[in-house]
Amino acid sequence: MARAAGRPRGALEREVLASLAAADRPLSAADVQADLGDGLAYTTVMTTLSRLYAKHAVDRVQSGRAFMYSLPDGQHGARSNIAAHRMLQLLDTGGDRAGVLARFVADLSPQDEQLLTELLSRDSPQEEQ
Amino acid sequence: MTIIAGAPFAASILLCLFGRYLGQRLPPATAARLLTALAVTVAAATGLVLTSAGVLALAQVPRIAADGHWSARSLHASDHLPIDAGAVAGVLVAGLLAATVLKAGQAVLDVARATIACRRLALSTSDLVILDDDACPRAYTIAGLRGRVVVSTAMLRALAADERRVLLAHEAAHLRHRHHAYLHLVALAAAANPLLHPVAQAVNLAVERWADEIAAKQVGDRQLTARGLARAGLARATARPQYQLLPAADTYVADRVRSLLAPPARRRPLIAAALVAVTGSCLIAAAITVTQTRTQIEAAETVYLHSR
Repeated sequence: MARAAGRPRGALEREVLASLAAADRPLSAADVQADLGDGLAYTTVMTTLSRLYAKHAVDRVQSGRAFMYSLPDGQHGARSNIAAHRMLQLLDTGGDRAGVLARFVADLSPQDEQLLTELLSRDSPQEEQ
Repeated sequence: MTIIAGAPFAASILLCLFGRYLGQRLPPATAARLLTALAVTVAAATGLVLTSAGVLALAQVPRIAADGHWSARSLHASDHLPIDAGAVAGVLVAGLLAATVLKAGQAVLDVARATIACRRLALSTSDLVILDDDACPRAYTIAGLRGRVVVSTAMLRALAADERRVLLAHEAAHLRHRHHAYLHLVALAAAANPLLHPVAQAVNLAVERWADEIAAKQVGDRQLTARGLARAGLARATARPQYQLLPAADTYVADRVRSLLAPPARRRPLIAAALVAVTGSCLIAAAITVTQTRTQIEAAETVYLHSR
């Protein structure tokens, strides 16, 4: 998979899952490809989706000639939420420090907020469609 | 007890003063590895030296000396450290040891809980767990024996696809490089020697920066990595009023963004070599001190035997 180069194993699968989760409707392989961008080949995205489907990590329904993919309830829905919710409580009561490692970002000071806002508005005007 | 015994304390004070600085000057992976090794060594060395001082003081108590068959007077004559100071050292090391054991227990408990949490989440077929929560943007790594990355849909929706890639790469890097092990080790070291708290903080930041750098390398764009980080930080800030979390461990978002916008940290072989040298000398100093203490007590035993 030449176009997936630079990604370690499993990274593309996670990105595809994240892409499906971020969308508010089922996506076709072409939708996922367009969302991920980064010059990924259609076949690469297709292969990844098929592999995820084989592992029951995604659901798919036929729609016309294409498959539409979405996250199943097991991943996305109630059951995993109960477990996750328990864990969040653990995290929020401060029971776990290094075990629940490092939130990606914690809360910001007002100055930091200012700085980051400026950075974003300076850096990426093309993003705000 | 000679002047050499002071080396680990001198190193502690230096680390207390310059720990933060060192963490920022070195490339993050080097900083995390070296500072953790140094902190653990210095903590062990100060512990050994304090224990030696305590043992020497205790051994001069007449009843203990009689039971142990050595001469308290000879020991007193050979020891340059006032007996009171030795006693203080002994009490101190007992307290610190207790704190360390407590911390170690907590760490074991943390890993166990994280492992259980990960097992509960194991029904998801990937090591990525997506929380169906559109209100609170969250993203973190749970590091049990097998780790999981947990991200809420609110966080995913706040980010563009390339920024999501940054976030996922960052969290996966934590798991792949076992960053939680560094955090546990350095927390233990700081419990055993409170002077090492600034180093522990420096390692916390270094670990985050390390994961940021790996993410930047993977997406091939430091600017984009900084943007993803900034966007995630702001997404949290916006959601904060309803979802006030505990004042969490600072993840130094602004510092990290600034570092990503600056050129990558240069290798600093001199600083690294100096840290290795300090680590080595602390070990040697502790070994010498322990040996000296043993020799002193053996000498006192000889005196005791001859005095009978």
